[in-house]
Amino acid sequence: MYSTVHIVDDDRSFRIAVGRLLSVSGFNIQLYASGQELLAHLPLATEIGCILLDLDMPGLNGLELQETLAEQAPNFPIVFLTGHGDIRASVQAIKAGADDFLEKPVKREALLPAIGRALLRAKTSRDERERINSARSRLDALSPREFEVLRFLVHGKLNKQIAYALGLSERTIKAHRHNIMEKFGVRSLAEIVSVVERLGLVNAVDDPPAS
Amino acid sequence: MGVLRDWIRRSRWLTVVCALFTSAITAAEASEFVERVPRVLVLYPYDERVAATTVAGEAVRARLLEATGGKIDLFSEFLDLARFPEVHHVDHMAQFLAEKYSNRQPDIVIALGEQSAKFIATHRTLLAKNARIIVAGFNRTTALRINLPDDVLGVFTEFDILKTAQMAQHLQPDAHHLFIIGGSSDFDRWWLDTARAGLASFAKNYKTTYLENLTIAEFAAAAAAFPPDSIVLVLTIFKDRSGRNFIPRDAVKQIAADATAPIYGPYATYIDSGIVGGNVVTFESLGSKVADLSLDVLGGKPVDHVDAPHVDMVDARQLERWGLSEKRLPPGTVQMFRQPTFLEQYWISALVTLAIVATQSIAIAVLLVERRRRRLAEKQSRSRLLEVIHLNQSATAGALSASIAHELNQPLGAIRSNAEAASSLLRSSHPDLKLIEQILIDIQDDDQRAHDIILRMRGLLKKRAEIDWQRFDLNELTTISIKILQGEASRRGISVTSNPADGALPIRADKVHIQQVILNIAMNAMDAMHSRRGMQRKLMLETRLTKDSKAELSISDSGHGIPENLLSVIFDPFYTTKVAGTGLGLSIARTIVHTYGGEICAANRCEGGAVFRVKLPLAEKG
Repeated sequence: MYSTVHIVDDDRSFRIAVGRLLSVSGFNIQLYASGQELLAHLPLATEIGCILLDLDMPGLNGLELQETLAEQAPNFPIVFLTGHGDIRASVQAIKAGADDFLEKPVKREALLPAIGRALLRAKTSRDERERINSARSRLDALSPREFEVLRFLVHGKLNKQIAYALGLSERTIKAHRHNIMEKFGVRSLAEIVSVVERLGLVNAVDDPPAS
Repeated sequence: MGVLRDWIRRSRWLTVVCALFTSAITAAEASEFVERVPRVLVLYPYDERVAATTVAGEAVRARLLEATGGKIDLFSEFLDLARFPEVHHVDHMAQFLAEKYSNRQPDIVIALGEQSAKFIATHRTLLAKNARIIVAGFNRTTALRINLPDDVLGVFTEFDILKTAQMAQHLQPDAHHLFIIGGSSDFDRWWLDTARAGLASFAKNYKTTYLENLTIAEFAAAAAAFPPDSIVLVLTIFKDRSGRNFIPRDAVKQIAADATAPIYGPYATYIDSGIVGGNVVTFESLGSKVADLSLDVLGGKPVDHVDAPHVDMVDARQLERWGLSEKRLPPGTVQMFRQPTFLEQYWISALVTLAIVATQSIAIAVLLVERRRRRLAEKQSRSRLLEVIHLNQSATAGALSASIAHELNQPLGAIRSNAEAASSLLRSSHPDLKLIEQILIDIQDDDQRAHDIILRMRGLLKKRAEIDWQRFDLNELTTISIKILQGEASRRGISVTSNPADGALPIRADKVHIQQVILNIAMNAMDAMHSRRGMQRKLMLETRLTKDSKAELSISDSGHGIPENLLSVIFDPFYTTKVAGTGLGLSIARTIVHTYGGEICAANRCEGGAVFRVKLPLAEKG
């Protein structure tokens, strides 16, 4: 899977030059003349890539495009490039989740690391996302009874307590617990708790039944 | 003027010898004057048409009336003795007058001229027994000749040839010759003798010649041969050697006609006969003198014979003829026939003309000064305008500086990235030379682009000391202006579009100024779109040729438009709705457009936003 840098700049000459530099430096590149063009050809969410975005453009400007991209392509870190260091714009961009804020003319020594960091973040976040997705799919594989048992487990309840709460036998609970560990592919209760927490699903299971 | 001559001539022909009267006036009779208005009878020898006596008589009347305040009875009798000399008639006339004045006995009888004097001397007992008689108009010699009674008072006209000679001497100080001309009649000879006696010492200073016993032709011939440094005195010529009779002034006229030296004479009548002048008696002064004597008589003052006053009189034309300076004239000299100088003659016209010319000159001078001042003021105001435009340019440049810097960063950034890419490529084992070549071409293009931006920036700041008139295409200038604005528009997320007219729109103006107009309006438009969101920020520059053959540039925005009530004031100086605005942009734009004979107006578009239209006259061909 290649990492692609999506370059959005209304200045043709500039975007070609930066494209060349990144291309020579081993990146895939895609060039767009405007924010609209980028939106019309949004990369697949599964791709790893970042967006090198010119702040000042006619039509949709950088910050406005950032807003739209946050909804439509949240997985692509944005590196801003601007002709003039505008503190207000840079603060706004960073607050809105921009990865970096560079000034034109940009040196390779500044550009490449910034792009590298953005892509790394893209990759990390994609891995994370995949992990969460797989965890979620594992969670989804649980039967309703198993999910109920999980809720008690992550809150540190004993088998005996769970059996009592659910009105089942301790053995049955043990079998469910085994199945859960099997479906999560883990060997200890601690690992299950960790996965559930990482998924941000603690709340989803955090509904301790009255005991 | 020929009157004196008439007196003299007529006196010669009258042979009536008057009797001697010795009528004394008693003191009692004299005292009668005070009880009633005094009566004065003036006797004229001729009819009322003869000017000499009439002038003298009028002078008498005027003086008497003036001195008595009108309280005097004046009577005049024109005896006409020259035409009616018959003794019989004269006696009848005396009888008639005696009857006429029997109840109005005159207190004084004034007899003008020799004949009147003889008449009253003869008939006084009949006419005016108690009256005092005053005679005038002849000399003592004549008085003796006609045997006037002793108690008759005379105002005598004595002709002093020396005074005339002295006047000549004044006028001709360098003269060496003296000629005295006299005729052959008894009177002429008497005159010559008188002159010899009177001029005895005067003549010693000159080479003196008496011209006498000559015919008129001989006189004229002699006159034509006078040395130029001669003084010529003419007395009287009643008769020449040949016995031919003359009116003296006519003889004088003939002699003076071809004379080679100035001629002077003792008679006022000679004036206008070609003589320069002389010491003469005028009839006015004679009359006044007679009146004064009469008043003395009426006032009971002691009285005696008096001489009529003499005046120096010259003919100004003759002065000019002989080149004699009027400055040398004795003081009080009367100049006859003096051609008034131009100023004397036309002084009113001259004054008015002068005044008009002066007024005009002043007006012209004032207008010239005014024009100079206006030019200066215009020049100053233009240089002020240029200053203001330049300040406006600087402000615009300041406002655009961020975007211009940004714009400059585009090519610079591209150059840098291209160069870095190229150097990376060169480090690789198989450099793509084609790509490197393309990169170098692109670097050159970007360098040119940066150069253009700097040029535009410089153009934006160009200062003018004078308007730099150029002929250029409004479309081209619009394109350049869009380039200048592009950076700022892009910074603000505004899309700029243009819709140029098909053909060129040649106008004549200062490019920098018209560009400033476009920038001012466009910047204003961009400010107006501040609150709009991205896709809606549109700036459109359109040019077209109007139906009335003018170049029109419209700049429209997608802002919030202009409130209708402000449309009329937005071009006023210092009117602004922006916190940081000076309110000068549009005002300066309008001033510039007006300077180049154009118009500017603002309106709201139906689809929202405002549109500014600038109309400029097309440049003439060539």
